[in-house]
Amino acid sequence: MSGSAQPNPPTSKLQPSSDASDSTKQPPAIKPAAAAAQLDEDDEFEDFPAEDWSKEEEVGAQQQQQQGGNNTHLWEESWDDDDTSDDFSLQLKAELKKMEGGKKG
Amino acid sequence: MEALWDDFATAQNTCNGYLLATTISPEAPATDPARLYNFNRGTNAYSLQTDLRYKLQYNPSLHLEKKEAAAWHEVFTAFYAFTGKLLAAEEAQTASRPREADWSSVYDSWKEVLSAVYRGYSGNVFEAWTIPCLYVVGKYLRIFAIKADEQAAASQRDSGLAFGELQEEDAFGAASKNEKLEDAARQINRIFALCLGDRSPLEDSRKWALYYTANLLFKTYFRLNSIPLSKNILRSLRASASDTPELSAYPRAHQVTFKYYSGVIAFLEEDYASAEELLTFAYESCERRATRNLELVLMYLIPTKMLTAHRLPTRQLLQTSPTLDRLFSPLCTAIKRADLRAFNAALEAGEDEFVKRRIYLTLERGRDILLRNLFRKVFIAGEVEDAKVDGGGVGAVAKRTRIPVREIAAALRMAGATEIDDGEGGVDTDEVECLVANAIYKDSNLQKLTICCEQNHMKGYIARDRGIVVLSKTGAFPGTGV
Repeated sequence: MSGSAQPNPPTSKLQPSSDASDSTKQPPAIKPAAAAAQLDEDDEFEDFPAEDWSKEEEVGAQQQQQQGGNNTHLWEESWDDDDTSDDFSLQLKAELKKMEGGKKG
Repeated sequence: MEALWDDFATAQNTCNGYLLATTISPEAPATDPARLYNFNRGTNAYSLQTDLRYKLQYNPSLHLEKKEAAAWHEVFTAFYAFTGKLLAAEEAQTASRPREADWSSVYDSWKEVLSAVYRGYSGNVFEAWTIPCLYVVGKYLRIFAIKADEQAAASQRDSGLAFGELQEEDAFGAASKNEKLEDAARQINRIFALCLGDRSPLEDSRKWALYYTANLLFKTYFRLNSIPLSKNILRSLRASASDTPELSAYPRAHQVTFKYYSGVIAFLEEDYASAEELLTFAYESCERRATRNLELVLMYLIPTKMLTAHRLPTRQLLQTSPTLDRLFSPLCTAIKRADLRAFNAALEAGEDEFVKRRIYLTLERGRDILLRNLFRKVFIAGEVEDAKVDGGGVGAVAKRTRIPVREIAAALRMAGATEIDDGEGGVDTDEVECLVANAIYKDSNLQKLTICCEQNHMKGYIARDRGIVVLSKTGAFPGTGV
């Protein structure tokens, strides 16, 4: 970013001799295309680092190992009986009373 | 530059397609970071042809046929021109002059590389093992197209601003703001057709590039907001299924990406049963370290599961990703607790993101489950009460299957259902009955549409004259244990 760490003055780039033997000697200041050829596509399905992987590296396999079962821990029922029905029925009664009161008043 | 030709020779002699593809990649390999630079400066426009001839035709470590050497000669000629454009653009960017980086030329010159590679295949000169070269040309064409379009849009914005906040619509005018990307889609589609039409035996067929290319097209169409075009791709693949390898024979990266996109397409078409199947596969086969991709799969699998199976993600699952946790946890908690107020608030808080991902309308249908839960609570509360009144034996819990509408109204008010207010502090009974009827009707309807929805929300009917809801004596709330 500072630009101070660029060892290559532009002229040195014009020497074709570097091709034959000393191509490793002095990597140019320009970064490889990595920066340019990547996008920050935060919405897109990303390329996987590898084309293929083993069954063991799959999420599914990993979960079965941990759970010894059928990934049942991923999904659960869509209701919650945590608060006891007694609480709920009390609340309900109170609300009913309120409604009755509202009607009269 | 030598490393490039060493790799090229090794790749050719060992039929290593992925290595071969690195020799024409815009991204230099980590082992040879200055590759493009050296390739570009290692020769010049005058000696390029001679140099390439020496590398390709007279290279003792290479044994290319004449046609093949000529085809690669074309590819590398285009590649040379491309490296010049790319290095110039990068130079401008590193020197903090990003506006001078000419991504449009980079795109055009890369398109030449693509065309040269394309000709290698269409003339049946390049063998099937080299198809990773098709991946590389397609992948980067799309990337450079996006960069070029972004730059064009930015410069248009700038010139607009110079005249004092010109309206964006005017600035963009009739010309597409995705000109290059639309062009890229056409080019990649050509590659797709090239692979689809290959009649060689499967072991030596370009068909092995089909799913990679299809995925590239999906990505492009999604970005262009032309998702319906993806269906053409799916249709072509289906039509040629009999002489195409099974998807399971392709690398997992191709499989998972394909299942993800076709799952999302099914989701958007409201074919939730297919979406569930496809997305579940994508999730389970996904590489476990690809956290971002897992997150994207779940983004659609969660609303899908909610609809098809009435199941919600566990805390454990949501905690695998802060984004998912933030977006879905409040909704799921609200549904489970039957808290309409919290549900509406959560839906509103995430609205922008839900709309952007096109999952808003599906999530909204979580309200049905929430209401089911609420009615269920009323039912259970009554059950307990009656049991007490009865004072009977443990086994003889009297189920109260007749629930006064006003009790349901009270529950709805508790949960924060503002739509049942009659505006005078009372309750609009019609509205309450409507919600109850919906819970009964919707499900038998859904059941017909998708086999997956075998669960009804609620079984029963409304006896309007008596102001009660009569629930089924057995399984009034199917699938929920009561």
